[in-house]
Amino acid sequence: MLEVVEPGLLATIQDAGRPGHQRIGLAVAGACDGWSLAVANLLLGDRPDRPAIEVTLGGTVLFARETCVIGLGGADLGAEIDGRPVRPGIAHRLDRGAHLRFTGGRPGARAYVALPGGVDVPAVLGSASTDLRAGLGGLGGRALSSGDLLAPGRRGDLTAAGRRWPGPDAAPPTDPSDPIAVMPGPDLRHLPSDAMETIASTGWTVAPDADRMGVRLLGGSPIAVGSIVSHPVVPGSIQLTETGMPIVLLADAQTVGGYPVVAIVARADLPRVGQLRPGDHVRFVVVTADEARRRWRLLRRRLAEAAERIGAEATWDGLAGDARG
Amino acid sequence: MADPPLVIEYGEAALLVVLGDRVDPSVNARVYRIAARLLADGGAGPGLGRPVPAYASLLVPFDPERIEAAAARRAVEEVLADPAVSEPGPEAGPGAAGDRAPIEIPVRYGGSDGPDLDEVAARLGRSVDEIVALHTAPVYRVFMIGFSPGFPYLGPLPSELELPRRAEPRSRVPAGSVAIAGRQTGIYPTESPGGWHLIGRTGERLWDPAADPPSRLDPGDLVRFVAT
Repeated sequence: MLEVVEPGLLATIQDAGRPGHQRIGLAVAGACDGWSLAVANLLLGDRPDRPAIEVTLGGTVLFARETCVIGLGGADLGAEIDGRPVRPGIAHRLDRGAHLRFTGGRPGARAYVALPGGVDVPAVLGSASTDLRAGLGGLGGRALSSGDLLAPGRRGDLTAAGRRWPGPDAAPPTDPSDPIAVMPGPDLRHLPSDAMETIASTGWTVAPDADRMGVRLLGGSPIAVGSIVSHPVVPGSIQLTETGMPIVLLADAQTVGGYPVVAIVARADLPRVGQLRPGDHVRFVVVTADEARRRWRLLRRRLAEAAERIGAEATWDGLAGDARG
Repeated sequence: MADPPLVIEYGEAALLVVLGDRVDPSVNARVYRIAARLLADGGAGPGLGRPVPAYASLLVPFDPERIEAAAARRAVEEVLADPAVSEPGPEAGPGAAGDRAPIEIPVRYGGSDGPDLDEVAARLGRSVDEIVALHTAPVYRVFMIGFSPGFPYLGPLPSELELPRRAEPRSRVPAGSVAIAGRQTGIYPTESPGGWHLIGRTGERLWDPAADPPSRLDPGDLVRFVAT
């Protein structure tokens, strides 16, 4: 049992998301970095899509009311157990009375704290993910706050303590020179002919207001755009707003939008977008849909191989970032 | 335009079917007939996800691990080729989403419930009573739900009520607010930011997180406002 001492900037319960309800305006939600959610859960021998705590940037403090094991995934946000730095990609033992504190750090924006059997919260419409705008999922549809108690699905299971992720890829790569793969979007016929080229050739900087709904980017010269008749958007859609600057939509994005979609992020690279923080530099590279699917299969295979090596259950249907209906 | 419809690749795991480039009740009715067919038993086949309908388009997700992209496109094109779903529908008539009776939404117009009503009346050169009469006259269609959870885009709004969005959006619009902008009207189901003109408020709960489904309205539904 974990107690939230300080929620920090934002901490929510997230699993692989709640696709299939966009027709009533419900976001897909789920972990912004589905890869790291999977790593945190697999470290405990659990399915990759179990609900875990998504910690944003830092400031979060959790207290162990009883001895337990956590799977720590995602960015290294300066996590410490009673002052001792601990790394992501490892299952850590938390003795009763210990504090797990995220002091902040970079690179990356989000860390994941998994509990054995997943954080025990009820599923709403098939998912435990917190949707703050809809007010559902997680703990009463809200962000974690001081005094909240989080129980593991399997209490007293300490078997995973000390387990390490068998590879260098416990977190998605954060090297800004490694471009994020995108495909041409559905609205190019409404955009200047060089819009895609501008997206791919510009060095972008993440604006200060990045959140779970989207990551606004700044850089280069604005791309002239008009509005379009609103059509569906998904996590990974890159819209051009009235400023002529792009925004990459994330897990909590609205379901329809009237800004033209110039490009869409390959699912395999969506976890990296979920780790962008204000001030980060980003580049894009255009790939075909076939190449994007190949990269997605490669990602799943890497996860499957790692899961096999640590003896976790390799079930893939719920890998977050997969916005299927 | 878009006849035949455009089927556009939308990333590696979805197709976007575009039926038109404007907000048009008959195009919207086609969207919902197609969506209903794709949702029906087995839909267009295994591997296709639940469609996401909008004004004049719908997103059809597919699982590339279960269906080849080309096969997904063929399955969608087969549905589109069926005259029963894809021919122009009756103007403002109910589509395949069902011949439902209009859902009545009681509204308190003006005052603190509709802080923009007086200004709307002044800008349109009409009395408040005329505005209310015009707003309550039509049976509106839920063109789509989006913007925020459960937010219905209703239309068409009588042309006499057409106004651009507010120059300064509000950062907080109370839940239940009934608003107009352009040729549309809508209801804010939850407190959210918003740039439409607030003319009234309903006590009806349009979004209930504990309900399944949480949204009182479904795309394609018909709605009538009743002044209280």
